Amino acid sequence: MTERLQFYEEWREAIIQCSRCGFCRAVCPIFDVSKRALANARGKMILLKEAMEGELPVTDGVAQALMRCTTCMNCTVSCPSGVEPDKVIKAARREMVTIGYDNLFKAMGEVVEKYGNIYGEEQRHEWRHKQGKAPYVLFMGCVGAYREEESVAETIRLLDLLGVDFTTIDEVCCSGVLEDVGYKVKEALAQHNVREIRKTGAETLIATCPYCYRVFIEHPSYKDLGLEVKHITQFLAEVPLQVKTEKRVTYHDPCDLGRHSGIYEEPREIIRKIAPTFVEPERTRENAMCCGSGGGFRGTFPRDSLKIARNRLDRIIEETGAEILLTECPSCLHNFRNAKLRRQKIGIYNITEFIAQLYQEGASVGKQAAEG
Amino acid sequence: MKELIEIVGEENFTDTLEELVPYSYDASVNVQRPNSVVWPESTEQVSQIVAFANEQKIPVVPRGAGTSLSGGVIAINGGIIIDLSRMNRILEISIEDRYALVQAGVVCDDLNGKLAKYGFTFPPDPASSSVATIGGNVGSNAGGIKGAKYGTTRDYVMGLQVVLPTGEVMNTGSRTMKCVSGYDLTKLFVGSEGTLGVITEVTLKINPIPRHAMTAVAAYGRLEDAGKAISQTMSSGITPSVMEILDKITLKSIKENTDIDLPDAEIMILTETDGYTREEVEAQMEVVLRILKENNPSLIKTAQDEKERVELWNARKSAYATLARISTSFVLDDVTVPISRIRELLVGIQEIAQRHGLVVATYGHAGDGNLHPQILYDAYDAEQVEKMERVEGDLFRLAISLKGTLTGEHGIGLSKADYMTLEHDPVEMDLMQRIKRTLDPNNIMNPGKMSL
Repeated sequence: MTERLQFYEEWREAIIQCSRCGFCRAVCPIFDVSKRALANARGKMILLKEAMEGELPVTDGVAQALMRCTTCMNCTVSCPSGVEPDKVIKAARREMVTIGYDNLFKAMGEVVEKYGNIYGEEQRHEWRHKQGKAPYVLFMGCVGAYREEESVAETIRLLDLLGVDFTTIDEVCCSGVLEDVGYKVKEALAQHNVREIRKTGAETLIATCPYCYRVFIEHPSYKDLGLEVKHITQFLAEVPLQVKTEKRVTYHDPCDLGRHSGIYEEPREIIRKIAPTFVEPERTRENAMCCGSGGGFRGTFPRDSLKIARNRLDRIIEETGAEILLTECPSCLHNFRNAKLRRQKIGIYNITEFIAQLYQEGASVGKQAAEG
Repeated sequence: MKELIEIVGEENFTDTLEELVPYSYDASVNVQRPNSVVWPESTEQVSQIVAFANEQKIPVVPRGAGTSLSGGVIAINGGIIIDLSRMNRILEISIEDRYALVQAGVVCDDLNGKLAKYGFTFPPDPASSSVATIGGNVGSNAGGIKGAKYGTTRDYVMGLQVVLPTGEVMNTGSRTMKCVSGYDLTKLFVGSEGTLGVITEVTLKINPIPRHAMTAVAAYGRLEDAGKAISQTMSSGITPSVMEILDKITLKSIKENTDIDLPDAEIMILTETDGYTREEVEAQMEVVLRILKENNPSLIKTAQDEKERVELWNARKSAYATLARISTSFVLDDVTVPISRIRELLVGIQEIAQRHGLVVATYGHAGDGNLHPQILYDAYDAEQVEKMERVEGDLFRLAISLKGTLTGEHGIGLSKADYMTLEHDPVEMDLMQRIKRTLDPNNIMNPGKMSL
């Protein structure tokens, strides 16, 4: 099948703006583990240029190559020529789907529609938290609710400890990830979430997952939410905390929270309150390397995704000597926990989860002191 | 290509079209598809690949980060690209003997990150140092901003391991600061652009990092005044670590497209002195400032702290990116002239630009006469492509007429191959041809480069 990509007119300028300087090699998590030129943004911009100009037949190989991107945006922020490869690649993925190249997310879209979550799980963990009216409503997201349940449980416990009056809802997948891989948000799911959230009468929605947070803020399907949306780090940054740790703590910026949403300070404000020995990794904030799970990459290339997480984790340990790695993204958390080797003694937590545990330790120490 | 797969393994070989496409390009205008790409992990594998290619008479093109601005890594006759990115181990750092031994695929900044822990550095600093490999640096004799004071890659290469076009592995040079033992084959390979063999390991001399630096900026309304200021500074007995210029077109582009505050001027100079004590750096800067002031500047600014220093550097650092953003395509050249001829070069460049009706913005390293005229054009407009080629031709002729060179740090590659005879007489060209034929009788090593 030989076809010219039709999105030529819309994206031509963006693609030929790449001056092929290759600076994206330094920041691409996939290139970092593969060292293959097709992995980074320059490789993909060249591929698309040739596909648009009819030099390269559009094949399944092109479709596959376009899936090899975590949309982490590290190349976008470091591109001297002002190319936004994450946007171009998402548009190209849509184009490939439109002209008939399937990827595994068509099937995932069906699963999400049927089960309301990306994993096709029939049962959700019973959080035993109140549902109904409250000033705050908590949204957990699929990865937290179905793969990192214990972490979510701790987040819930922390909010309770802090006396936050919040409710959970009968949530379904925000389905935003489908937009990254060539498909569309599932309207029925979005409307279900909007309805359930509105029913609570809450004034603020607290999202634990940075991706869900972005979808609520950015996607038109969620424009009628009618309340303020906050990532949990934005909420927690304003809350006084009574615990501290002496441990050496570091922080990984999730791509969806940092580069995509511009939230860098709030997590650090929280961490500085609880950890005087906070130390930054060498690659941090706008330049933080991706954990390898975003943009449909973990689903499509699980082995490479894990390799990227291991790579990032190894370097964080080497650079910081930290005992505790914090982040606040269920996907990053899940990938790092899967990647961690037994010999690596570092503890990996979401910030909220870690603080909940500090309160727990504090309580048991206090209890011992009282008994002693 | 089952022989290649046998050498490097299935996962380190490709001949699928989608993977070959990015390897058909570098940062220049040249394009050509290779037939295959391999990612060797050892010198032994490189040796086997080259021996096989030599036997079969297949072209071989060594490649690092592919940041070449001259087409140096384009497989113009097809063949095998050897991507050395996976040979990226730092094998040894000896502070006592002041050298670092690295594989060719080590990235410059990675090496410098490791050396910084000891207070040392490998000084050549090409703009691409975050991705450029040491092998590529050696192949193109890369320079950078601090060339006037710290030289180029050539000045730091103590020894090499090279896979010759026959597949034999040669170790040349020494680990000593001095060495006159035999012909200097090491230096023959520096800047040879992969035409004589595949560099697999490099022994580099390392320098202690200067502890202090001072920065100043001066703007001039007349090129002549700036030219004098540069010449007088460079012959004053003080060698600034940085002596950069930005011409009027570059300043205007930055001013119009960023929020960086810049003076209206014909030219701006950015300079820095560095050293191991505060006093030393200040004493040098005093001399530089005196000379800058004596030549009618419209503005002089010095940085009082790190924040101001970053601000002064802002314009210079954003030159490339700004120009890359405002034009569809560009060619970035690196003609170099004796310092006393910089003014003539700048005037000549603008005459050429006007003659052919293209915009050429020039900035670069005045301290060593190495300027970067960036020719802006549209690669999709045949007429503009032709103009760009004519501008380049005139530019090269101008540089040579000023007793300069075609290339200070990017290399000849394909882009400047046709102009080699402008600079090198028939006797020299003939000897280069003979050296190439002697080492590479089958002409498999990066053929077509440097017109060899």
